Amino acid sequence: MSLSNLIKNWSTLRVKRPYEDQYKDKDYKWAMVIDLDACTGCNACTTACYAENNLPVVGKEAFSKGQAMHWIRIERYWGEGDELPKFPDRGAQFLPMLCQQCESAPCEVVCPVGATHHTPDGLNSQVYNRCIGSRYCSANCPYKVRYFNWWQYPERAWPNPLEQQLNPDVTVRSKGVMEKCTFCVQRLVEAKNRARTEGRRVEDGEVTTACAQACPTSAITFGNLADNKSQVAKMWARQQVDLAKDKQEKSDENMRGYRIFEDLRTYPSIVYMERIRDLQA
Amino acid sequence: MSSSKIDRRDFLRVLGISGAAATLAGCGNTSIESGAELVEAFVQPEDFVVPGIGVYYASTCAQCGSGCGIMGRVREGRVLKLEGNPKSVISGGKICGLGQAAVQVHYNPDRLTKPMLREGDSLKTVSWEKAMGVLTARLGSGSSLSGEQIAFLTGEVSGHQKVLLANFLESFGSTNHVVYDALSPAVGHEASKAVYGVEQPVLQIDKARLILSFGNDFLGTGPSPVHMAAQYARFRKAPRGTLIQVEPRMTLTGANADRWYAIRPGTEGVLALGIAHSLLQHPEYAHSIPQELAAALKPYDKETVAEITGINADAIPHIASLLWEKSPSLVLSGPSAEGHVRGFSNATAIHLLNLILDNRGKTLQGQANHPFPQLSPAFGSYAALTRLNQAMSAGKCQALLIAGCNPAFTAPTFVPFASNMSKVPFKVAFTTQLDETARQCDLVLPLLSPLEDFGTHVAGYQPTGVELMIQQPLMEKLYPETKGFGDILIDLLKQRKPDAYKAFPDYYSYIKTAVLKAKPVFKSKESDDNFWEDALRNGVLDLDLPAAQIDAKVSAIKVGAPQAAETGMQYPFYFVPSVRADLRDGRHANLPWLQESPDPLTSVAWDSWVEIHPTTAAQMQIREGDVLEVQSTTGSVRAKAYLFPGIQPDTISMPLGQGHTGYGRYADGIGVNPFKILDPNFDEQTGELAMYATRVIIKKTGENAKMIKDEGPTTLQQGRKLVVTMAADQAELAKEITRVAQ
Repeated sequence: MSLSNLIKNWSTLRVKRPYEDQYKDKDYKWAMVIDLDACTGCNACTTACYAENNLPVVGKEAFSKGQAMHWIRIERYWGEGDELPKFPDRGAQFLPMLCQQCESAPCEVVCPVGATHHTPDGLNSQVYNRCIGSRYCSANCPYKVRYFNWWQYPERAWPNPLEQQLNPDVTVRSKGVMEKCTFCVQRLVEAKNRARTEGRRVEDGEVTTACAQACPTSAITFGNLADNKSQVAKMWARQQVDLAKDKQEKSDENMRGYRIFEDLRTYPSIVYMERIRDLQA
Repeated sequence: MSSSKIDRRDFLRVLGISGAAATLAGCGNTSIESGAELVEAFVQPEDFVVPGIGVYYASTCAQCGSGCGIMGRVREGRVLKLEGNPKSVISGGKICGLGQAAVQVHYNPDRLTKPMLREGDSLKTVSWEKAMGVLTARLGSGSSLSGEQIAFLTGEVSGHQKVLLANFLESFGSTNHVVYDALSPAVGHEASKAVYGVEQPVLQIDKARLILSFGNDFLGTGPSPVHMAAQYARFRKAPRGTLIQVEPRMTLTGANADRWYAIRPGTEGVLALGIAHSLLQHPEYAHSIPQELAAALKPYDKETVAEITGINADAIPHIASLLWEKSPSLVLSGPSAEGHVRGFSNATAIHLLNLILDNRGKTLQGQANHPFPQLSPAFGSYAALTRLNQAMSAGKCQALLIAGCNPAFTAPTFVPFASNMSKVPFKVAFTTQLDETARQCDLVLPLLSPLEDFGTHVAGYQPTGVELMIQQPLMEKLYPETKGFGDILIDLLKQRKPDAYKAFPDYYSYIKTAVLKAKPVFKSKESDDNFWEDALRNGVLDLDLPAAQIDAKVSAIKVGAPQAAETGMQYPFYFVPSVRADLRDGRHANLPWLQESPDPLTSVAWDSWVEIHPTTAAQMQIREGDVLEVQSTTGSVRAKAYLFPGIQPDTISMPLGQGHTGYGRYADGIGVNPFKILDPNFDEQTGELAMYATRVIIKKTGENAKMIKDEGPTTLQQGRKLVVTMAADQAELAKEITRVAQ
């Protein structure tokens, strides 16, 4: 973000995000729904992300230090409160956790160089060659979904010929750079370009993320929230989750949609649907 | 692909259409596109390779026996990523993590690129001419071996590879195709066969309103996890089905249960009979089974069953009443119930519930009788391995060919397979990468990766009708001196039976001929060329067939007096090995994505660990990371303790698949191999290895090390509302919008 650009666009950059109907007349606002009752915790999405986004395998030692680079990870909890139950007799609590693409992202405001910022289609983007590795963004992220390149992975993560698998549409990141889930922006760009050439908007179902594509139970739905006919927009509406609200007023309490840490006013772009358990069983 | 006669241009023309069409869209509105300007490319790309555009080709996943249809994304001649093939009934356009990692089999830095021949104590690289010379000198036209002198040891294999393999052995007058699977489903298959008349009934998970599963991990390690997951997704939509899982150690499927019970290992059959006894109290079921059998169930009252199984007595009539309430139900038996001395009778007792509940034809059906039984896989068994082991030990085996299994790693210590191998004068391994078994062979032939090779597959589990899967190369072979398994078999068969095989220059031409012969079965009116091109483009050939009936042989179910689980003072703990959906029996431990993929239940990666219940750990003053020695009668291994609530408190568990010593940089030196501490216990009916019947003692070594895991300092949500749970009677699934077809 150059200074001249900053000054020139000051009025648009200083708006409070989000506001009602922010994307009403826009072409795109990418969003997601994750059904926790369908998610089985199988890890198909995480591996698909490694394949799509050139995530380095960091190895045993770095992994033990918490340096794994999984843009999407499956968290597993045993209890909702503070006490570990003797047996997890209602199963485990799996949570696919990835960048929530917050509309009011805590990471964006602390970046000293504007490396992470909001795109017009509602993504929280990371510009690798602006990033200086201050890691403020990671510290400020309540979801802990930002990953730092502590090592020069291009030199060690893909011994020949593993590098031939790398997706040419995605940058291979070098040491000192922060990275995170992009909602498979390379796929979005390709789809948007194709649609623009054909003089139309990207259709629902035309593009999806690698995680959603792989998911064997179709627990992940991805799409364009600005298109009110899209599956994802219909699901948000039926679940009565409003992008621009930090407290959802639901007339139907039986709808399962919620956003994580909504009270922090991050306005995430991912709606989770509550896990269901038959408590009579 | 390059070795075949098919013209590359012809081959790609069938498949590359979408890429060519996409070119126009990719360029934007330029003067070049409008024709105002012409540019000459500096580099002339290969035909149908459009720089910057990914093209998808259909093929079949070979990572496990499920036979999922996949699509490979190919760009600039390189395969980059695999997706599910939406045309495949089995995968339904989805793919699991294990399937994704097939690209790392292909691009593995430790791949074997040239044939190797034994010289003294080591294997030396040789040319193909030399290698084939050695092979044909021993097993070519002049070979005098016959019958039991030659053995072909493989993992589960289907399709035309299986046919060629049998034909090759037949040329020696041998039927010695030994199929070994360290995680053999043999006990379960035998029990199903005894009760239902079929080895693998089709499970209609989506049609069940209640599933009661005794250790059946259908979402993780079952016969077709991707297909089952899609069914499970429908099962969980309105009207939402309920899943109850009973097992000693929580599997991935157990982690998704509405109610999970920790049971004392080996007593699953007792619980099943206790539930049966309880069910018979309902008038509806009172006459569902013969009087003698009902009488034999009398001793299985809830107190006795609770005492034996460790399950709360009140849970037994509760489960029974749920089964009565939520019909149709589906009762499943799984490996942790079947891998015991009484494993077969455990499984038949579990199947008895399906008979009482009359689930036959509703949630349980027979697989369709299809016209390709010769292509269906032969399943592995432990018995097959021991027979071969005895033959080797007695010096009867003169030539041993091995593909698709690694018995030196997976065979328990009381089956000295590795040392008996030295008694076989000629051992050949066919593999993409050296493993512990291949390193002991005299000749190792480097295979094409599954992404470079042609093939046909018919999965053992066919959910509807039958799907004949076509595997085709997704790119040119990486290494010139590698060869397809089928091609090598054809070469050998040309030596053994020149007349029958001279018409086939290679494996490709063989399967093409074979598939075209099957054309009438698919009632296709297309020309041969079109039929074959469609088969390659779609990756699947589907045949819709009616499901078969299954039997209900109550007489196969023998009920004795309730027997308590074995206990032992010297070895106080039950040892339940766990199978990871990604590493399986260890054959995938060489794939870095899977090593780095945390185990879903524990979040541990790159390691082995010992799961112990927190209360047991507290009694023994064991903390996380304490290095424990786990000792059975046959050996001991050391690993760090992980406190795990999803386990029966008298049980400890360790994951299989790690502990390699000769399987490349990503596998070697990671963790330990629990196969080597399994006790010699066998199922009394089938003689199969009872994998879950080992007993151990654990000792603290005094060492402690950091756990290599992904989870944070707590496994609790602490009121943060991360994963919110709604009671099933509150949810209104029918009102929701969903992507899953109802």
